[in-house]
Amino acid sequence: MQNAVRSTAAQTSGGGPVGALAAESTTGPAPAIEVQRLAHRYGSRVIYDDLSFAVPQGKVVALLGKNGVGKTTLIRLLMGYLKPSGGQCRVLGEPSHALSPATRARIGLLFEGHLAYDFMSIAEIERFHRPFYPRWRRDLFYDLVDRLQLPHEHKIANMSCGQRSQVVLGLIFAQDPDLMILDDYSMGLDAGYRRLFLDYLKRCLEQGGKTVFVTSHVVQDMESLVDEVIFLKRGGAVLQMPLAAFRDGFRCFRFDPRGGPMPAPDALIENVDLHGREPLLYTFATREQLTEQLRERCPQLRLAEERAMTLEDAFIGLTGKY
Amino acid sequence: MLRAILLKEWLKLRWVWLGLALVHVGMLAYLFLSLRHQFQVEHSEMIWYWALELRRLLYDQLMLLPALTGAVIAVAQFTPEMIGGRFRLSLHLPVRGDVLVWTWVVFGAGLGLVLSVLDAAGLYALVRLFFPPEAAASAVLTALPWLLGGWVAYFGTTLALLEPAAPRRLVYLALGLAFLGLLYLHRGYQEYDRILPALAAASLLFIPAVILPAHRCRHRS
Repeated sequence: MQNAVRSTAAQTSGGGPVGALAAESTTGPAPAIEVQRLAHRYGSRVIYDDLSFAVPQGKVVALLGKNGVGKTTLIRLLMGYLKPSGGQCRVLGEPSHALSPATRARIGLLFEGHLAYDFMSIAEIERFHRPFYPRWRRDLFYDLVDRLQLPHEHKIANMSCGQRSQVVLGLIFAQDPDLMILDDYSMGLDAGYRRLFLDYLKRCLEQGGKTVFVTSHVVQDMESLVDEVIFLKRGGAVLQMPLAAFRDGFRCFRFDPRGGPMPAPDALIENVDLHGREPLLYTFATREQLTEQLRERCPQLRLAEERAMTLEDAFIGLTGKY
Repeated sequence: MLRAILLKEWLKLRWVWLGLALVHVGMLAYLFLSLRHQFQVEHSEMIWYWALELRRLLYDQLMLLPALTGAVIAVAQFTPEMIGGRFRLSLHLPVRGDVLVWTWVVFGAGLGLVLSVLDAAGLYALVRLFFPPEAAASAVLTALPWLLGGWVAYFGTTLALLEPAAPRRLVYLALGLAFLGLLYLHRGYQEYDRILPALAAASLLFIPAVILPAHRCRHRS
């Protein structure tokens, strides 16, 4: 599992990759987002206990995880809307709970549900945002929004979710931010609007120098967009690695237990899926490493062929269905 | 930036404020008709007797209007911010949070103040039509606690709307209502003349207080 970073108190003890990242981060530019030993809880419910990761500058990083693992909570912590119970987050070099106005101007933030002032019209919302951002690109805003073929006096409250998403995205692009934090951009969008959103985002990224931290439930969209993925699991376990390394290194095998003991997740096996039509086993290990381990623990089990996976298959394989 | 912040507030409040302005003008018109009607159906001596001996207020229709206006302005201004957590949009703007919130309340309270000035001027002019100038000045002084009630209702509602925690919201509402109660205890003319400066000074504490719920909204733990 090269270039991967795992975090949580239980999982960091392995050491190697974490140390590698730490060494890397001290030599390269400061990360755009840096989360260190973050802890947060709602009442007695622990969301994260010891969460650490970094988003390098100039990279597109996706935060993926199932519902309820705390993705939106993490975004709120990063933007200072929640105060963590422990640890710290730094965004563009500043503590997330004390971001200066100048730093906020460098962050384009998409709120879950494409939140916007819906009492404003298209023209009014552009006019409202323009004075706050010195690098405002009015042309980018109207380039995107005019595709809706709506009059500029059209109220945002009277728009569909997809249309509103275009306006919100237009505002973020026009802001010309150094860091974009996009919380579940796909919520409520049909395939067409999702694709349009991604096309524009990619075009914006072609200028270079932009960092994007994105969460989404539509995992397949990430395939062509992101450089790195962070998988967040319940309780705050996290796995961060380049997307390519994940696609190359994460494997799925069919297996036949032949009446013997079932394999269970351990240091080598990430997940075992017994809910599908055929039992599947997910791992970062090679076939040889896996066979050797299974020979000891599940001697009757027969490992079948490796299965090709989409990114969504791999995501479910890693995080589980339930 | 300031103009942009004010633009947003005006967009939220314009129709509500214009509607309220019509209500206030309508109330003054009603008050004029009511006073004229009384002078037409009663002898002047009888009206003097009511006003001076019985200390009956001839313009108490105005009493609750400023408070109602303050609450309506606050609801129109801050409900759109709080629905769906839109307040976070404003808090992400590259401007200091306290400056932002104070600009909002100065604008909202300012619009309320314009209507209060309209009420006071209208009341003075109307009473002056039927009574000597001393009575008109007395009418305005009598109405001042009601106008202060508009300020209190605006800030009390604002605090309750901005506050993220429900128990604190109830405390703010209770404090606002208690303050309002203090302003509506009188039954005659100018009974608040001596205490009103102290009450007005106390009501100024609402201005720094609005920062507290906004801060809690920003940094919820």
